[in-house]
Amino acid sequence: MKNKFLVIIALVFTASFYAQVDRSKMPEPEPAPEIQLSDPDSFTLDNGLKVFVVTNNKLPRISYSLVIDRDPILEGENAGYVSLTGQLLRTGTKTKTKAEIDEAVDFIGASLNASATGLFASSLKKHNEELLDIMADVLLNAEFKQEELDKLKKRTISGIKAQKDDPNAIAGNVRNALVYGLDHPYGEQVTEETVESVTLDICKDYYETYFSPSAAYFAIVGDIGIDEARELIENYFRDWQAKEIPTDEYKKPNRPLVNKVALVDRPQSVQSVIYLSYPIDLEVGDEDVIKLSVANTILGGYFSSKLNMNLREDKAYTYGARSRYDTDELVGRFDATTQVRNEVTDSTITEIIAEMKNMTKGEITDEELETAKNYLIGSFSMSLESPATIARFALNIERYDLDKNYYRNYLKNLNAVTREEVIAVSKKYFKPDETYILAVGKAEEIADDLKKFSLSGKINYYDIYGKEYDPDAKKVPDGVTVETIIDKYIEAQGGREKLESINDVQTVMKGNIQGTDITLTLSRKSPDLLHQVLDAVVFKQTTIFDGDSGAQVANNQKTMLEGERLEELKIQATMNLYFDYDKHGIDAVLKGIKEINGKDAYEIELTLPTGKKWYHYYDTETGFKIREVSTMDTPQGSFTQTVDMGDYKEIDGVFYPHKLTQQIGPQSIELEVTQIKVNQELSDSLFKIN
Amino acid sequence: MKKKLIIFLLMMFTLILYSDSKNIEFIEYDLDNGLHVILHQDKTTPIVAVSIMYHVGSKNEDPERTGFAHFFEHLMFEGSEHIPRGEYFNIVQGNGGTLNANTSFDRTFYYQILPSNQLKLGLWLESERLLHLKIDSIGVETQRNVVKEERKQRIDNQPYGSLLEELFSRAYTTYPYRWTPIGSNQYIDLATLDEFIEFYKTYYVPQNATLSIAGDIDIEETKELVDLYFGDIPRGTNEITRPTVKEPPMTEEIRDTVYDNIQLPAVIQSYRIPEQGTDDYYAINMLTTLLSGGQSSRMYKALVDEKQLALQAASIPLSLEYKGQFINFGLSNAGVEPMEVEEAMDIEIGKVQNELISDREFEKLQNQIESNFVQSNSTVAGISESLANYHVYFGDANLINTELQKYMDVTKEDIKRVANEYLRKENRVVLYYLPKSQAPEEKEN
Repeated sequence: MKNKFLVIIALVFTASFYAQVDRSKMPEPEPAPEIQLSDPDSFTLDNGLKVFVVTNNKLPRISYSLVIDRDPILEGENAGYVSLTGQLLRTGTKTKTKAEIDEAVDFIGASLNASATGLFASSLKKHNEELLDIMADVLLNAEFKQEELDKLKKRTISGIKAQKDDPNAIAGNVRNALVYGLDHPYGEQVTEETVESVTLDICKDYYETYFSPSAAYFAIVGDIGIDEARELIENYFRDWQAKEIPTDEYKKPNRPLVNKVALVDRPQSVQSVIYLSYPIDLEVGDEDVIKLSVANTILGGYFSSKLNMNLREDKAYTYGARSRYDTDELVGRFDATTQVRNEVTDSTITEIIAEMKNMTKGEITDEELETAKNYLIGSFSMSLESPATIARFALNIERYDLDKNYYRNYLKNLNAVTREEVIAVSKKYFKPDETYILAVGKAEEIADDLKKFSLSGKINYYDIYGKEYDPDAKKVPDGVTVETIIDKYIEAQGGREKLESINDVQTVMKGNIQGTDITLTLSRKSPDLLHQVLDAVVFKQTTIFDGDSGAQVANNQKTMLEGERLEELKIQATMNLYFDYDKHGIDAVLKGIKEINGKDAYEIELTLPTGKKWYHYYDTETGFKIREVSTMDTPQGSFTQTVDMGDYKEIDGVFYPHKLTQQIGPQSIELEVTQIKVNQELSDSLFKIN
Repeated sequence: MKKKLIIFLLMMFTLILYSDSKNIEFIEYDLDNGLHVILHQDKTTPIVAVSIMYHVGSKNEDPERTGFAHFFEHLMFEGSEHIPRGEYFNIVQGNGGTLNANTSFDRTFYYQILPSNQLKLGLWLESERLLHLKIDSIGVETQRNVVKEERKQRIDNQPYGSLLEELFSRAYTTYPYRWTPIGSNQYIDLATLDEFIEFYKTYYVPQNATLSIAGDIDIEETKELVDLYFGDIPRGTNEITRPTVKEPPMTEEIRDTVYDNIQLPAVIQSYRIPEQGTDDYYAINMLTTLLSGGQSSRMYKALVDEKQLALQAASIPLSLEYKGQFINFGLSNAGVEPMEVEEAMDIEIGKVQNELISDREFEKLQNQIESNFVQSNSTVAGISESLANYHVYFGDANLINTELQKYMDVTKEDIKRVANEYLRKENRVVLYYLPKSQAPEEKEN
């Protein structure tokens, strides 16, 4: 009872202190608190390692982070090796196995993460020296083992498999492929094949090339003073040897000239993942950045943005819609993204485009502008709660060569952003008519409605790794296999028995290259003898295979063929090769149906024992072979060689093509068969190499 | 009355108990209307977190209205007598703040983080929606669709997204944990405006709420402001109902297969465990750390590193107000049969059941727990939520300072004992997640 009495008194007391609260009015804020921005301590070791120390003893903990600053890397056919190298770092040193590193880290209740561009470690203050000891060992004495790489590759490949059903992961991959291109460091794709091809040597090479103190920044944040920090860092990193690290340049990807619609078909989708994305040219610290941050906040940077209020709170198409931009030294990016139910996929894209246009047209209210600015001011203040923010600011100033007062002036500059400036950056960076429009979703339900966003009415289909494909490609009918296609080809030519009865055949072809008449005489004899003469009046080239050796004679100069070229010549020389690919170590796979010169043709991929791939195409109707594609390696580089064959005519019961069109690079030669002679008992001496 | 007296005394002096970390000082008291208030001052950054935890979650739902509590959470942003529809977010963000909310099985939590000069605004906003929330049919219909999209985004369109739902529907037959907070579309469609109003009157009342404020505040001034904004909110008159049913003990293992849009099979073994806050709860948490805390932990080391059976292997304690779940999760590496993953999990469980852990491993565990505990309260928002949690679930907000001792009281023998007591075959649900292509119907095609 007594207690209640006290409470009542307290209430009375309060009431006399404040007037009755007027709920109908939003409370006025107190004077704005001052934002204090301290500078971290910093110093540089003789080897170039730049160190920042942020002392914060609110909690008895400490964190170390090392960042390697290097240009982006195009990984190519080994894509994934850079990330694997980062993971390998933590799997062994000259004196510790992975299990020992794990045990040491966990024993002190710490964490240690490694990546290709740095290390991050944290623990309680009382274990800080033990932790730095492990971290430095991992960084400086890394020893990469095949066994650990194999494990990581296996897990990475499993991870890639797991992502194949994840619509967000797919959208991210394909978005990057579209915006940057597959041959760009930010757009290239890590696949099972590229990971499989990663070797220990490339990983070692990466580590040895890029981990240098001269390219590194080190930040210490937490319950530690500058003196203690300096002593620790000097002890551990003084002897780390500096080296020059390579730099790279890449060409900047451009926005599409008109909107391009890209679709990844995921038939099981009940929502479409949508991206409107394109590259932007915007470096960290550029004077447009703060203005664009305001513009983007209004467009889609937060809950109260145009995109979210429209698509979620008004139309209820989605759980959330956002836009964002990335600043980057190489090339930045803009994204507007959301996930919506299948049936409103196109309506959503229409709305996103409309909201982007509203921004460029300047349809921005004063309230929208103020709300966005206040939100950004608040976010900046809140970010200062984490002591790591101060370290990040200092690091950015160094790394991107920003004005040393960039962050100290940030709020002032943010406050000063005007409506006109917001409209100007909106015009410059929001490009609703020059964007990739990507949807990952159920094509059957969404594809038709997406056509309207493309000027040509065309949608491009992509697989989950951003490779374009033709969705109308015909399906191979059930029951059709390599064997049935070859059998049909044999029948079309005149039958197996007839073909087997041919022991030798001589073909003469005539054509014209750039005004010069040429004659090609090809003689073949069972099982695999070949003699071919190309006569171009001023130039004569003879190619011979005698069953064992091969040679090429050009203008009386003879070159013996060796290695892969010889192996391939032997295969070319083999009569009726296709009767039994297995016997010759050739792997034949039916890839599908392609349109060749207006006709549907089965595509068969032949993988030679040398690893080289040939492609043969058979007319689905007539059964005749109508095209061969191979690659030719020459001193000038490798070329794709395409030979189309047609005008099949019968000679002694066997059908032979009488017209051949050969395309090598940009050059095309048409050859007409003028003579075919069969079983004239060609002498073996014709096939001798002299 | 007696209880009130004790709480009143608590606000007179703040307990200081030993731990390696600095103590988090706070005061707590009840308003006359039953609202519990916790205040913590931290002047390092000029921000303040204003949060309210309502002791209502999906377990308070009608089984024919699953997803209701979460749906209602969305409606709490709709507006009030003095806040027009659609303005709630705008007001907070336009004044430099961030905000959000989430709903669990047991409670619903709302928070705003604001510049510290906007404390009054935070109090006004929270008191407005506690005193006189305003929802209309437009708001309900809009959020109905938004929630359905949220469900798709989190569950239906995500590989393994249905895991919790599939697990809990099998792990409980009676207790209202048998559905998850997101609920089913079918029931989301049925919820009506009247039902929401009734739910609001019952659970969104001061005596069912904890207001927790942390940050750059003046304690005395804040107390006065809290009185001003919350003091006149009437106590609720509906009876607050909480589940009273008991889940019968499991008598045999439940085993099932789920076919999903996935590439890699997953194995889930889930054991029923006692309520959070019990002595065994602390031992069980240490056991999960033993199995999956860090890369030297037993499950990670055996399944991921040494045997290379799994891409991920984790042991997760999902402790709840009532009996929760101890979940072992393994994601098979490509080409590995889920059965192999499960066997390897069983081997690790068997080891803990049969062998006492070594002194060194035990020391490691204690170090890991200590490190996590000390580093867990690094933001004012985190502290305000922790304080509210400790009060709502355990009636002791000061656990934020003392709970570590409960972990340190756990012995090696306790860990072995709880492994034997709870990680029994007949006390578990085992689920295999397999690719849809392996589903029996499709095999026949």
